[in-house]
Amino acid sequence: MKISKLLLGFFALAIFLVGCAADDTATVIIENPNGGNPTNPTEPTDLEIGGTLTEDLTLETGTDYNLTSALIVPEGITFTINPGVIISATSGADVYVAVLQGGKIMAEGTSTSPIVFTSNSTTPNAGDWGGLILLGKAPINSVSGGDATSTSEIGGLPYGGSMVDDNSGIIKYVRIEYSGGAADASSENNGFSFYGVGNGTTIEYIQAFEGKDDGIEFFGGTVNASFISVVGSQDDSIDWTEGFTGTLTNVYVEHRQSHDKGIEGDGFNTDIGNNADPIFWSAPIINNITINGNGSSNENEAIRLRAGTRALFNNVLLSGFAEGFDLDSDGADSPTGQGVLDGETGVTDISFDDVILNLKNDTGEEFGEAEFFTGIGNGTGADYSTWNVGWTRN
Amino acid sequence: MREFLIGLLLLFTVPLMAQETGSITGTVTDKSLNNEVLPFANILIEGTTKGVSTDFDGLYELNDIEAGTYRVIFSFLGLETQIVQVEVKPGQTTKLNVALDATSGVELEEVVLTSSTKKESEAALLLDQKSANIVKESIGAQELSFKGISDAAAAVNKIAGISKQEDGGNVYVRGLGDRYLNTTYNGLPVPSNNIEKKNIDLNLFSSDVIQNVSVSKTHAANFYGDFAAGNVDITAKEHTGAFFLAIDLGTTVNTNALDTDFVKSEGTGFFGFYNRYRNNPYAVLLSHGVDAIRSDGNTGVSGSFASGKSWNIGNASRLSIFATASFGNSFEYREGPAVDYTTVEKKRFPNSEEYQYGRNTTAMANIVYRINEKHKIIYNSLFINDATDQASYFGTKGLGTNRDAILDTDRGFYQSNIQFNQDMIFVNQLLGSSTLSEKLKLDWGVGYNNVLARQPDRKRISVERYDLELDDDESTNGSFFSNIAYDNQRYFQNIEDSELNARLNLSYNISEKLDLNFGYNGRTKQRTFENIRYGYDFIEPNTPVGDVRNLNEVFTAQNLGTVFNTVVFNGLDPQNGLGNVNLPGQFENTYEGNLDVHAFYVDAVYSLNDKFSVLPGLRVEKFNQDINYDVINLPATDPGQREASEFFFLPSLNLKYALNEDQNLRFSFSSTVSNPEFKEVAPFVYEDVTQRIGGNPELLSDPAFSRIFNVDFKYEWFIKPSELLSVAAYAKAINDPVNLVVANDATGTQRFFRTGDQAQVLGLEIEVRKALITDEDEQSILSTGINATYTYTKQDLKGSDGIFSTTFDRDSDQLQGASPLLLNADLSYRPIFGKYKPVGNLVFSYFSDRIDALGSGQLGNIIEKGVPTLDFIWKNNINEKIELNASFKNLLNPQIERVREVESGDVALSSYKRGLNIGFQFKYKF
Repeated sequence: MKISKLLLGFFALAIFLVGCAADDTATVIIENPNGGNPTNPTEPTDLEIGGTLTEDLTLETGTDYNLTSALIVPEGITFTINPGVIISATSGADVYVAVLQGGKIMAEGTSTSPIVFTSNSTTPNAGDWGGLILLGKAPINSVSGGDATSTSEIGGLPYGGSMVDDNSGIIKYVRIEYSGGAADASSENNGFSFYGVGNGTTIEYIQAFEGKDDGIEFFGGTVNASFISVVGSQDDSIDWTEGFTGTLTNVYVEHRQSHDKGIEGDGFNTDIGNNADPIFWSAPIINNITINGNGSSNENEAIRLRAGTRALFNNVLLSGFAEGFDLDSDGADSPTGQGVLDGETGVTDISFDDVILNLKNDTGEEFGEAEFFTGIGNGTGADYSTWNVGWTRN
Repeated sequence: MREFLIGLLLLFTVPLMAQETGSITGTVTDKSLNNEVLPFANILIEGTTKGVSTDFDGLYELNDIEAGTYRVIFSFLGLETQIVQVEVKPGQTTKLNVALDATSGVELEEVVLTSSTKKESEAALLLDQKSANIVKESIGAQELSFKGISDAAAAVNKIAGISKQEDGGNVYVRGLGDRYLNTTYNGLPVPSNNIEKKNIDLNLFSSDVIQNVSVSKTHAANFYGDFAAGNVDITAKEHTGAFFLAIDLGTTVNTNALDTDFVKSEGTGFFGFYNRYRNNPYAVLLSHGVDAIRSDGNTGVSGSFASGKSWNIGNASRLSIFATASFGNSFEYREGPAVDYTTVEKKRFPNSEEYQYGRNTTAMANIVYRINEKHKIIYNSLFINDATDQASYFGTKGLGTNRDAILDTDRGFYQSNIQFNQDMIFVNQLLGSSTLSEKLKLDWGVGYNNVLARQPDRKRISVERYDLELDDDESTNGSFFSNIAYDNQRYFQNIEDSELNARLNLSYNISEKLDLNFGYNGRTKQRTFENIRYGYDFIEPNTPVGDVRNLNEVFTAQNLGTVFNTVVFNGLDPQNGLGNVNLPGQFENTYEGNLDVHAFYVDAVYSLNDKFSVLPGLRVEKFNQDINYDVINLPATDPGQREASEFFFLPSLNLKYALNEDQNLRFSFSSTVSNPEFKEVAPFVYEDVTQRIGGNPELLSDPAFSRIFNVDFKYEWFIKPSELLSVAAYAKAINDPVNLVVANDATGTQRFFRTGDQAQVLGLEIEVRKALITDEDEQSILSTGINATYTYTKQDLKGSDGIFSTTFDRDSDQLQGASPLLLNADLSYRPIFGKYKPVGNLVFSYFSDRIDALGSGQLGNIIEKGVPTLDFIWKNNINEKIELNASFKNLLNPQIERVREVESGDVALSSYKRGLNIGFQFKYKF
């Protein structure tokens, strides 16, 4: 009968139409590079740490620790790390240490026995693991103020508030290596991520070494930091946004093969706007900074200021960049140039070594090098060699 | 078939006149078919021009007849004409029921054909609308066919207060979008084909499978409580007449696509299938490159067959089968700017190109078994395969910018995105109706749905300094942009839905004045979601790119570990050496959602008198939703699951007052709810080229739903069988409404929040359908329909806190998706030249500017600019067997534009023209 033939034809067609999409995919066989058997893991030798702490934890000198998952320090809990402790992290962007609002980290190394966070891989690479995240209750300008909070790029953790002198603890002589794994293009770990951290917190002698993303990033907050070393960060070495107003003193930045800016400063988070009432911008003070680039022939910028940020620099040494400072205004809501005209942004004492263009003014406001720089040739930088001995890595 | 159509269209109207008059009313039935009611039978008073046709229930009414004795002629093609003598008394109604029998000379099949009660003609559906007790509007197969409407989305767009979003079948009813609508198929829930949506894309229901599409804008107790703007119900086509077999073949061209070398993903088939699902994504990544390939041409083809046959079994039983299968593909090409603008310009691509290659396969079978005049069972099976290849290239002329670019933020940024989406939907339903006694009638249905929605192997490439590839200097190169590994990535996503649902309604006719309905609806639905993503992490910075459309030579298995490493978020077993580099990984995000809704309802239809009927109803609904997720980037303290359980008491009241035979006044009040969708709750973030969207599990915390109050008032005047004037006013209050806005976080992710205490909607709707020119048989030759809707919306705004938070810089705004003005109009010309019956149709629709995304923080709203659409459809019935049809769509070819509102003016985010779609079709009926 006609109709059944037609139906048969239809089913034959169905088989044909499934069949005609190509599949010449080769089989992949996975060999365990370590020779171990994944179903029968070798016994861990290090002490494993991770998870959300329910009581205070102290890492003792002389013990090696393996960070296997996110270690969360919640409100009321103190996480103490004694000098010389090495914490090696299992790979993954979701392996990090986060000190929540109200939690404390007491990581006090010494110049001869620094505390080191690193990758546990035998062939470590930038981005192997997350990094160190501090979340405080100091002001940020992405929310309207009071106790309102925002959430962090990694981990979705709350930060921000109105406690200018909030205290998240002490970080001293701490080095972070091979961190910066990203969850996606907008959720990136850094070496040190300071979210709304208050100036009751002590941060001295910290190094971010070979990180995949930014070395140190400030999301608002008032914290001051000194003796900062960032070596081989693949994205921006120092990054600030969301109304950061702390002071950074003695900063050394060294670019390796892959990198973005030395400093990328934003006045506010451009994804959500400057929602502070009254409005304020990021306005840090940076004293004694050296940024070493890869030479002016490698097209790049040392310092990018944008989205309305203010910043006062004292004693700057820039070497090996196509551009020294690049200032951008992205529109009426981000008046970066206005800060220069108002004297809230500028540089006192600066030296350029192998820099083609000292200042690129894309703000739309009228000012030049003469208005922006005072004391060209007087900059000496961070004097890194006087404070890097023993605890930093090169 | 021809006779049938004529029979259907021979509709007479009642002249209004006289004082000393009476009426005749009654039912006409078909004796040859167990006295089933006979619609469209002709009733004529002998010797006069006074006549009428029966409605779809076989009812007729002859009014304003001067007192006296008449001979009334009852006729129907294929049935023996009867003449009955009757006396009409002043002020009285004479009841006269007549059963017509088959004439000996006509084939039985012809008779069966004409006894069809299919609600698919325009007149029948208007009658349905007139007699319905709730506000309901429908479009049937006949009108679909007349107006050359190709699918359900285009169909509902003809209904007052409805607008369609450009780009897919997103439908807005009275300004309320997807989350406030429901779609059912034969009265049972039907799944969405798209994870981002609650409702299925109505484009997927081609006219071949539709008997009618109805939109109910007021709630009644038998609808699910999750209701705010409307319920769209698609009734599947049933076969009732003689054997038929029809085929068609067609072709469509898009004027934009014509001159292009059309491209598509590699590995996808002509019919929209993909054969690599069984392979591990990592194996797919290593074996296959990233480039798009040339498609086979750029001209769409389509073809379908439909067939139906009925068999009589014994004296009382009858089996009817209807089956149809169709395939079509389409090509669309767009070009224009694409911009990511928040409070600043983040990315700008002055030139972007997009190639969309869609394929749709639909197969439907419907088996109707009429056991006897009291019992009927229907089995309905529907399969849809909807597949789209989409290749997009941004910054094609080297002019793209990205403020976060590394090498140069002012030029040369380029991205491409090549993806394939395949959605397969399986719907199986068993439906039945039984007349248990004279007073008891049972309707029931059970359905099982499955959805496989997959996005295999989306490829995204990012390039810096592409301008250096385009210049004449061969020594300079563009390079891969690799801020993070996922800037260049392959992405795989699978979603599976399954749902079991049921409905049951027992209607009890207590008296002529009172009917009661008792019923149950229930559904239990499960969704599983999983995805994985591999990033290409370049070992050397600034790896040169070469020809951006020929990158397969870069992404080879041989280059793994030398040019790039692959990175995955969750390694197989990192603690034992199987890390996340150069190895396959585990799923990045997974979630499982469960929805259980069970409801009992009771409603009454109480006719106080001939004119006034009251329909009170109460629905008691148990709602349970839970979601378990394992997604990246959440606080470690999050429990990974949420659950909500609620009892809803949902009262409704519908009133209908018949001013006279042709005019109704209606009033409706209802209290309903709106529940969050899985995608709104699951905190997984989907990263698009220019935006990121994620769910918010707090939507299931107190309150877990929005309470909604609806009030409608409507005046209807059914001037003639195909003519209508209606005016409706409506008001809604939506408590704790949900909006998609940018969250206060460091990443600019959009999430769903309860952004205020209440949203209010006020609106006015006017609809006119008018026959402009009619022939001597009162059949319209030129007719028009116009409807316009004005809506005022306002929602108050407040910030919210939780695991995610958001803020607003203003106290109130319009509702997202609500155009103040909607306009739909059509003009139909249907002359008849003997056997040649052409139909010309001009269809216009317009929506005014509306909010596409509400701005939070300092962000302005994203506005979808108003779009007028004009289509011309030309159908040609050359003779009984052959049809030659042509369609010219999007004649105005307007600019389709989305803008961000900023203080200094609007910033265009995207802007393009779709081009004209011109189609030809050949149809043959055997």
